[in-house]
Amino acid sequence: MHRALAFLALAAALAAGPAAALTPPELAKVVATIDERQRNSGDWKALCYMEAKEKGKTDVVYELVVYRRDEDDKQMFLFTKPRAEAGKGYLRIDKNLWLYDPAVGRWERRTERERIGGTDTRRGDLDESRLVEEYDAKFEADEKLGVYGVHRILLVAKPGVDVAFPQVRLWVDQATLNVLKRQELALSGRLMRTAYYPRWKKVFSPSKGADVWYPEEMRLFDEIEKGNSTLILIKEIDLRPLAANLFTKAWLESKSR
Amino acid sequence: MAPRRDAARVLLRIAFRNLLASPVRTGILGAIVLVGALIVVVGSSVLDSIDRGMRTSIQGSLGGHLQVYEARSEGALELYGGLRGESLLEPIEDFSKVKAVLEQVPNVKQVVPMGIDQAMVATGNAFDLALERLRGDVRRLEAGEDGPELRRDYAAHAAHVRRMVQLLRDEIAQAREISDPEGREAAERKSEWEALQRAATDAFWRDLDRDRYGSLEFLENRVAPLAMDTAFTFLRYVGTDVDAFFRAFPLAEVVKGERIPTGQRGVLVGKQYAEEWLKLKNARRLDQIKDARDRRGKRIADDEELQRWVRENRAGIREILLQLDPIRADALAQELRPALGAPAAEPLEALLGRLFAATDESFDGQYRIFYDVVAPKLRLYQIDVGDTITIKAPSKSGYFSSVNVKVYGFLQFKGIERSGIAGMMSVLDLMSFRDLYGYLTAEKAAEIRALQKSMGAREIDRERAEAELFGAADGALVGEARVAEIDEGALVKRREEERASAADLAAHVYSQEELEHGVALNAALILDDPRLLRRTEGDVRKAIADAGLGLKVVDWQEAAGLVGQFVTLLRVVLFTAVVIFFAIALVIINNAMVMATLQRVKEIGTMRAIGTQRRFVVTMLLVEIATVGLVFGLAGAALGAGVVWGIRVAGGIPAVTDLLYFVFSGPALFPRLGALAVGGSLAVVLLVAILSALYPALIAMRVTPVEAMATED
Repeated sequence: MHRALAFLALAAALAAGPAAALTPPELAKVVATIDERQRNSGDWKALCYMEAKEKGKTDVVYELVVYRRDEDDKQMFLFTKPRAEAGKGYLRIDKNLWLYDPAVGRWERRTERERIGGTDTRRGDLDESRLVEEYDAKFEADEKLGVYGVHRILLVAKPGVDVAFPQVRLWVDQATLNVLKRQELALSGRLMRTAYYPRWKKVFSPSKGADVWYPEEMRLFDEIEKGNSTLILIKEIDLRPLAANLFTKAWLESKSR
Repeated sequence: MAPRRDAARVLLRIAFRNLLASPVRTGILGAIVLVGALIVVVGSSVLDSIDRGMRTSIQGSLGGHLQVYEARSEGALELYGGLRGESLLEPIEDFSKVKAVLEQVPNVKQVVPMGIDQAMVATGNAFDLALERLRGDVRRLEAGEDGPELRRDYAAHAAHVRRMVQLLRDEIAQAREISDPEGREAAERKSEWEALQRAATDAFWRDLDRDRYGSLEFLENRVAPLAMDTAFTFLRYVGTDVDAFFRAFPLAEVVKGERIPTGQRGVLVGKQYAEEWLKLKNARRLDQIKDARDRRGKRIADDEELQRWVRENRAGIREILLQLDPIRADALAQELRPALGAPAAEPLEALLGRLFAATDESFDGQYRIFYDVVAPKLRLYQIDVGDTITIKAPSKSGYFSSVNVKVYGFLQFKGIERSGIAGMMSVLDLMSFRDLYGYLTAEKAAEIRALQKSMGAREIDRERAEAELFGAADGALVGEARVAEIDEGALVKRREEERASAADLAAHVYSQEELEHGVALNAALILDDPRLLRRTEGDVRKAIADAGLGLKVVDWQEAAGLVGQFVTLLRVVLFTAVVIFFAIALVIINNAMVMATLQRVKEIGTMRAIGTQRRFVVTMLLVEIATVGLVFGLAGAALGAGVVWGIRVAGGIPAVTDLLYFVFSGPALFPRLGALAVGGSLAVVLLVAILSALYPALIAMRVTPVEAMATED
């Protein structure tokens, strides 16, 4: 009897294969941790560098400031370099994404899927992480990414949630629980974009009372237009409270004049 | 001399006798020759006229006589666009150098710089536009400006937006009745409805002055997106030295507004483009119905398309209502009631419904009422003369460029006004074109390189990315950062002259030197004597090679791309048809003549027996067929001339498509009979007839008196 039970237990373990490495509660915890570590309860301001490479074209580079107020779902980008681009900006309020160009003094309504500044960056790449809210997670395997042991997790968009990519595959570092690689897939399963996050930084947030993590370097590779890639570097973080009226058209206009 | 004349007379008499002796055979041969001549005459007349029409359209609108562009270009120049969109041309970095060289070439009258491209024009949805006007007032009020006029504008714009909110609420209320309250997006719909309800309350508008910016943000972000209208359109333009362009292209004319003042920035929007893409849809459909009735004799009662337009007009009233503020809406209703004979209390929506419910009997009257009463209160074109529009395009340097330009007028090309090929084209000043094109100057490139260097970004090969990034446990995966103080005010320092230039660009007058020293994509060459085109083309090539300009030269037809190949294609089709026809004719005539010759073996033998030479026999047969060719060829040519005349009298061949409008250089093609067409057709039919009679003549020549006598019949 004992033998039979032991055999059954062994068979079950083998059938489950590597998926047994993360139980559903553990998986949920990993995904929640990814969100939690990047969340900041207060305001967020980051000085970034963005560089887009396209096959056969000149590099497009920007220096920009990214602002976030997560509790109100607001976000803003203000371009500061190169000189011809300085003062241009994006403002996101709810589901509206506005583009402002000081050269013409006009606001233009853009879609949520806008390629920021014509690069392969989407607004969501510089937003807070909302994986728990937006996706259902499924553990796929434990494996190696370079020299690092990682959990491979498949995320499928929850019904009724509007996201840029209906499926996302993550490679999460087992030791630090930072995302090292991310694949974004279409509904058909076609790979659209691959992102790598080789350097993570943490900074103490007084409003959160804990560390906030952010990827210092993001490398985005377009899988449809092979040869196109974008690099984002977060150079500085400023966690002081932002002006109350910062996420308004009037504020961005005033900075650009 | 006399014996020869006698021989000719005898030959002709014999020929006519033979032809009349076999009327059926002669009729068949004659009919073939006649149809052949007819095809050649009509076909070549039509083709020559098309060739002329297209030459007029292309040379007079964009092409000039010759075009030059950078020889290193990836694609070929296609003035009217190709299958893959706009031509991929490398820039001519300094147009002035090209002009200096080419103007010295004999017979070159003018060199016009050009850059053809497409750009996006953000028109905003109706809500966004109304809110933008209101924001303009708010900006001035918040900046401390005040006055009765500003207050009046502010009140009118606010009333307009409030009316739009009410209309939108009515519309969404209807949609809510059929939507699923438990559906996937129910919560979102509920929140949208609440926002709309709030914007429709008296309290919201009463409090507008308390927090003007806050209220605007609410309307822009929570209410306007619900309108879901189109927010942009594409504009195809040629950036050029506008004065030079009008000198070079005599078909170009401004039909509304004025030309862009010399040296200033501005755009002339293609009239046909404005009609098709920018006009209020109801007005456009009314124009189309009128055109179909007046020009094509269609009737609403019988034509499904016209009935559909009438239906769409009745459903499109919202677009008109959204444009009217309460005061103008009341005024319009008051004017419409007596004009339409409607009851005194009938609301505007019902009045407009009545106006657009057109029948064949009422259409002309309703059309007049629309343009006399309704149109003056509306914005008929999304972009109109006097507006300043924002044009945006991805630039050569990779960044998006935007420019503000004033619309000085609507442009059309005489004779081809309604052509979708030329009529879609707008004319933009050269400086704005260069801003949009965004040529990467050495200064810009250096700035980008410096920024890249300061950031220390290293390039990584996609294939080796994982190995390079995660191949070594070097401790770089995590680290600690310190908070910084980012001062965007200091980062967004723009140079004083740049600030000033943004505001003054519209008023700045550029010198001819400024216009000419800079980028162009191609240049049109206008010749003094177009008949010397080929010689001048050679001279231009030589001048380019001597000066080392590295440009490619093409004639107007090649520069027109696919459109330019149209006549060549038609010629090939006609030529093929004619060749096939005459090949068949050759066989039929040959057979008929062989039969006729065999029937006349005895007669030929007798003639040979009494001393007739072989040459005479051959000539006799050839004269016979040549007579058929000449007589029926002339008749066919005359008939062809009659057909050509008939087509002209009947109003020409109508241009039923955009392409035909362009190649006909007008609404119809009026073919012209040319001496070459008549002469050519006669030559062709005679040649074919004689060729087909050669073999029977050979048979006849071999007939000997003995063989003839031996024949039973």
